[in-house]
Amino acid sequence: MGRTIRTPHAAAAVTRAARATRATRATRATRATRAAWTTRAVWAVCALVLAAGAGQALARDLPADPLGSVMWRSMAERFMPEGEIVFDDRVRILAPFSAENQFHVPITLDATELDQDVIEIVAFADLNPIPLILRAVPHRAQPFLGFRLKLQQTSPVHVGVRTADGTWHVAGAVVDAMGGGCTAPAAAHDAPDWMARLGETRAVARSDLAGELRMTVQLRHPMDTGLAAGIPAFYLNDLSIEDDTGQPLIDLELYEPVSENPTITLKPLATGEASAYAVSARDTEGNEYGFRVALPETAASNGTEP
Amino acid sequence: MGAGCGCALHGPLAHAQVLGYQLSATEIAPRTWAVLGRSEYFRMSNGGNVVNAAFIDVPDGVVVIDTGPSRRYGEALLALIERTLPGREILRVYNTHHHPDHFLGNQVFQADRIAAPQKVIDNIAAEGDGFTDNLYRLLGDWMRGTYVQLPGLALEAASEEVGGRDFSLFYLDGHTSADFVIRDDETGVLFTGDLAFLYRAPTTPHAVLPAWQRSIETLSGIDRDLILPGHGPRDPIGESLVQTGDYLSWLGGTLEGAVDAGLTMNEAMQLDIPARFAGLGVVRTEFERSVVHLYPMLEERLLPVVEVER
Repeated sequence: MGRTIRTPHAAAAVTRAARATRATRATRATRATRAAWTTRAVWAVCALVLAAGAGQALARDLPADPLGSVMWRSMAERFMPEGEIVFDDRVRILAPFSAENQFHVPITLDATELDQDVIEIVAFADLNPIPLILRAVPHRAQPFLGFRLKLQQTSPVHVGVRTADGTWHVAGAVVDAMGGGCTAPAAAHDAPDWMARLGETRAVARSDLAGELRMTVQLRHPMDTGLAAGIPAFYLNDLSIEDDTGQPLIDLELYEPVSENPTITLKPLATGEASAYAVSARDTEGNEYGFRVALPETAASNGTEP
Repeated sequence: MGAGCGCALHGPLAHAQVLGYQLSATEIAPRTWAVLGRSEYFRMSNGGNVVNAAFIDVPDGVVVIDTGPSRRYGEALLALIERTLPGREILRVYNTHHHPDHFLGNQVFQADRIAAPQKVIDNIAAEGDGFTDNLYRLLGDWMRGTYVQLPGLALEAASEEVGGRDFSLFYLDGHTSADFVIRDDETGVLFTGDLAFLYRAPTTPHAVLPAWQRSIETLSGIDRDLILPGHGPRDPIGESLVQTGDYLSWLGGTLEGAVDAGLTMNEAMQLDIPARFAGLGVVRTEFERSVVHLYPMLEERLLPVVEVER
């Protein structure tokens, strides 16, 4: 298959060993997850029985989804298991009414109107075979995120933004889509030389029209979901950014539904001294990608402290 | 269904209606009829009748240009031709390009009389089934029985004579990778396919804007008396070429600016559209679609490549 990256020095062996360890860990994690699910299933049955007898005492108080997603309750419990959940107009989700391309559905999340610190962001597409799109922990970045996802069918897309008080502020949009975004091979597999361009990166940080710092990062990666026949899952799963003074900006966990050649747009909060950002990313095969993005000189003092 | 019709239908069936296109032929030049579609996007309410087809009465029979979005449309077109020109034989059907609203009526015509450049045939073969699936999704029962019928005849000559009429053939690109343009040398009508739109926003799912602009330049230099654009009314003065070129240069420039400013696709979709394009049908929808079509190419070109350590 030639899926592994040829590492040009002795680190290859280390990478292999690390991968083996990760594989073992992954298996264990899978088992643990299965066990957890079994436990949850048992709990669910118990809860139902109890709820039938004792009203809704055990059920979490979830607001109804304005979009009426049939999966809302399950999604909310799964991806926002703790904390109060509120639908909040201050969380803006920009999504097309109809997905022109089910492999690249653009979503922009803007929660900059929230008046509290944001500690976590989660995005999921309720009706995708793999719903979880990404999680983000902003450290020194505004709660603003642009990304693209694959949609398997028309689906609500929800974003949850958790503030420091533990509350999830949620917004959603339904995107109409032609089927198959998650089960077709990535476009990369049409190109015989796709391995040669794996990890090819485009990135820039600059002041936007409003004078705010903005950063776009695009890595060439097939982001295989594992659901296309004969192509195992292979995707970029970790992406972290810090500035060159060592201050972390944001940590992102990406999942299978993120579009091929992930393109992420952020609004970093600048520090006075930093002159560049360092991005480090890793995929599910353990390949690591590191690069630097220079800060625009004029923008170095923009942004406010979180 | 009116009261007192005396029929036994009640409940849901009372509202059931057989879907049918109300096609009409407009004579745009001597013995040349356009079948004008609406300036809309594919919808259940229009059955995908959003495209222009045409037919010409040549000395020995009929020449048809494009066949619409569905088998049902093809049947309606055939019936319209028969009503307009009873008993005349269809000698040639041209497909201008591989977008589904232009060839999915092919089934009702004789395959060996349907002609297109080889590249158009290849494009239909590669993408036709996917397009068809999507139109079934968007148009439901309008599409019943529709499947891909490839043109049986590959063209490469600069001209051909059909039934006693000479046609000049132009092999261009830009709207898609193969855009076929036909000129009736007798009447001077230029059938541009979707290289030209008029009062309807151009669509860009397979567009390469610089190539499209070059093709518009080529078309502007072709001797003609009238243009029938792929979408929109007949154009005696070349307005469709000017309008399409103007829109495409605005579109390209605007999206380049958006990528340069670091806008996400969603933010780009919200940009203002100049007032001079307000009269173009479905311009907001098409602009939003174009963002998705064109952003990846622009990002690849405009975003700086950075060195990666692995």
